[in-house]
Amino acid sequence: MQFHTFNEAYLERLCSGDFRTESHFVAYFSELIQLKLRSRVNSSHTVEDLRQEIFVRVFAALRSEGRLRQPERLGAFVNSVCNNVLLEHYRSSSRESPMEDDASANVPDPSLDVVAILSHKEMEQRVRQVLDELSERDRRLLREIFLEERDKDAVCRDFGVDRDYLRVLLHRAKQAFKAVYLKNISAGIRSTAAS
Amino acid sequence: MDHSESIRLMAAEKYLLGELTPELQEQFEEHFFDCQECALDVRAGAALVEHSKVVLSEPVVVSKPVPVPAKPVRSAWFRPAFIVPVLAALLVVVGYQNLVTYPQLKQAMNSPQILPWASINVSTRGTNTTQISPRAGEGFHLLVNIPPESRYTSYTFNLSSPSGRLEWSRTVPAAASDEARSIYVPGANQEQGTYTLAVRGNTAAGESSDLGHYSIEVQIQK
Repeated sequence: MQFHTFNEAYLERLCSGDFRTESHFVAYFSELIQLKLRSRVNSSHTVEDLRQEIFVRVFAALRSEGRLRQPERLGAFVNSVCNNVLLEHYRSSSRESPMEDDASANVPDPSLDVVAILSHKEMEQRVRQVLDELSERDRRLLREIFLEERDKDAVCRDFGVDRDYLRVLLHRAKQAFKAVYLKNISAGIRSTAAS
Repeated sequence: MDHSESIRLMAAEKYLLGELTPELQEQFEEHFFDCQECALDVRAGAALVEHSKVVLSEPVVVSKPVPVPAKPVRSAWFRPAFIVPVLAALLVVVGYQNLVTYPQLKQAMNSPQILPWASINVSTRGTNTTQISPRAGEGFHLLVNIPPESRYTSYTFNLSSPSGRLEWSRTVPAAASDEARSIYVPGANQEQGTYTLAVRGNTAAGESSDLGHYSIEVQIQK
């Protein structure tokens, strides 16, 4: 993904309904919003509903008369809308029964296009390579943390490492994976914009 | 939280590992919504974690070392199709040697043979060349007359071929009286030309004296 400067021109294109700019904006902030929502909401359906609600409100606010005055604060603005939507969700969900965990959380979106599927496969392949380059111990460590979701302190104790080791391990794996990730999300955005 | 603080704190890694306090989490989220570099870090990290779950859930394929079939060198040699004819051929050779060759050799050894010979007097120093004409493949004798010489305890005979190569070398103890020694030169690999016999006398003190070089011209009969 290209780094776009959130400046006056970008904001102008976004408010005027420029499709490519809108596609970039939605793709860029969707992932951030989803990350933030997933740490607070269990259901993937709810995450998706909230994400859509956030974009509806953001676009409505941007196109209203008293729109955002500081384009460089676009990210902070989206975050604040996200906070508001989450707050409203907490209030409404406290009056309703808690939602069950969604079993389909990891099911790929059936609407994914060919480019997205290929991109997904390439990223998975790269992750496989990154993990293959790790020692057997580090692979097992990550497996117990991410897949089995064991208590991190207990895992670190079992493997005789500290939390810093875990962070550095993740940092290195992430750095090794980042180039492929960047390439694939750029292709994904181009594909979305072209369709 | 600013960018340098998020880097210093390894905030992206802590966020992905769920290690940030609620306050720091809020602060970091506020930051990465505004910082594209940190946003990329978090997104790439989250994608890595998601894909890792898929990859790590795959059954570990332990690649068993493919057994390399031992080279059937021995078994190939010992296949009946090969070994039976070889053993049969060996049996024929051994049988022929025992029944034909060895009896003939034994008979030849025990039979008197008439061979050409030449005489060499060690005391005679001269340029005369002794001539001898054996048949092809036939050996000959050199009768070497050694005068009694009390100071030598042994004699050494060196025979060189016409090409100058040392054919053999022998040392024999000295006899008490005048004596003649017979040296048999075998016929195998015999060359036509002039052989040289060098005789040396050896004392008890380890000194060695050249007693003479004698030429033997061998003319092989066709």
